[in-house]
Amino acid sequence: MDPLIRFDRVAVSLSGRTILNHLSFELHQGEKAVIRGPSGAGKSTVLKTLLGLYPLASGSILFEGRRLGPETLQDIRRRTAYIGQEPVLGADRVREALLLPFTFKANRALRPTEDDVENALAHVGLPLSLLLQDCATVSGGEKQRLAIARATLLQKRLYLLDEVTSNLDPVSKLAVLGFFADPSFTVLSVAHDPDWIAWCGTVFDLNHGTLTRIA
Amino acid sequence: METVDIGLPAMVVLYGVTLLPALLLRAIGLKIARDLAWAIARMTAQLAILGLYLEYLFALNHPWLNAAWIALMLIAADLTILARAGLRWRLFFASTLAAVSLGVLFSSGYLLGLVIRPQPLYDARYLIPLIGMILGNCLQSNVIGLERFYTALRKHQTEYVTYLLLGASRTEAVRPYFRQAMLASVNPAIASMATMGLVWLPGMMTGQILGGSDPWVAVKYQIAIMLSILVSMTLTNSLGLWLSLRIAFDRNDVLRPEIFKPQAVEAR
Repeated sequence: MDPLIRFDRVAVSLSGRTILNHLSFELHQGEKAVIRGPSGAGKSTVLKTLLGLYPLASGSILFEGRRLGPETLQDIRRRTAYIGQEPVLGADRVREALLLPFTFKANRALRPTEDDVENALAHVGLPLSLLLQDCATVSGGEKQRLAIARATLLQKRLYLLDEVTSNLDPVSKLAVLGFFADPSFTVLSVAHDPDWIAWCGTVFDLNHGTLTRIA
Repeated sequence: METVDIGLPAMVVLYGVTLLPALLLRAIGLKIARDLAWAIARMTAQLAILGLYLEYLFALNHPWLNAAWIALMLIAADLTILARAGLRWRLFFASTLAAVSLGVLFSSGYLLGLVIRPQPLYDARYLIPLIGMILGNCLQSNVIGLERFYTALRKHQTEYVTYLLLGASRTEAVRPYFRQAMLASVNPAIASMATMGLVWLPGMMTGQILGGSDPWVAVKYQIAIMLSILVSMTLTNSLGLWLSLRIAFDRNDVLRPEIFKPQAVEAR
């Protein structure tokens, strides 16, 4: 089976410093992978490079066999959810934040029903009362789960997760692990959390810009 | 009615009185006497040159000479806008010049061609001061617009990228910053129109009255120029920002760091 994502000798330099050094790996549909390594090793850069946020110095990235470039990027971004440590909700109220992507032309056809919104919240273990809450009063962990709920409303299947369990209590973490266990979801993550690393089937070590597969 | 001239001794008194703010500023610990003196000297020299030049410009009243002067004003305004907005002129020179020229020439075109209709239409006495006033106001508003827009984008890059990753096009993702920048750029004009005649007397109207004009004519000119400024400001700003979007981002919709002047990056 062809890989969903293929990095082929990818090099990325930022401000004259080499961050990723001829990095190669593959990720298949449904795989749950984590990249670990010391802070500043370039773990988040791998995720952001896949989203076209950093230019490649050399090498190539293939997504479903198609080369990453301006022509394919919109499609890759449309199908990928990136969730960081402190996701931006982008609205005053939680309900508005969940519905924000559907104000964009590309997502108008996907506009969810009230039931869809409630189900998405339940999926990540958040109460319905949160919908009326001011985003400024939402905790970091709740923001991460809201970002996941928003991604499910957008029917995303590929998740790029940057320390997604960093702000979660044990119960919430279990809910998130249960959510991503869905075999139709592909996960490429960056984490320090031992529980998350142990949960992922594929583990990469990133050191000095070079990636090594551990498991 | 003849305007009362200001004699040389009176001018000397005027310059002398500026010692008062200089001393006051020094007393509160602000060492800006040199800047103040330099600004006064520059103003004097620039206005003196302008006075001499306008004298010839008005006397010759040649359409091509007038056009050349306007072109020079537009280029100077373009470079000033980019320098003060902290953007690289090599990248944005053409787009800002196009936006400023179109906006200013559109509103001054209908102001002169349809409203005031001087004879001849290119009469330097009308053309140069009116375009100068419109351009001067657009300059300030474009500096605010561009500076606010790109500062906000740089400050909120994570937010901007989030919008992109949630499916927004580049135009949709920059919309919140575009709105804020547009509001900031037209707000001073709206505020000044709302208080004009109540809190302050506008310069053009005051000048016309001092020059012997009927106050009603002066009022009508002031309204005409303010409305033209508002139209021009909105046009130049929206067009300038819109054209700059094609330059400021790479093919992946990522903001290019090289659009900012190096000192502007360091200052932040």
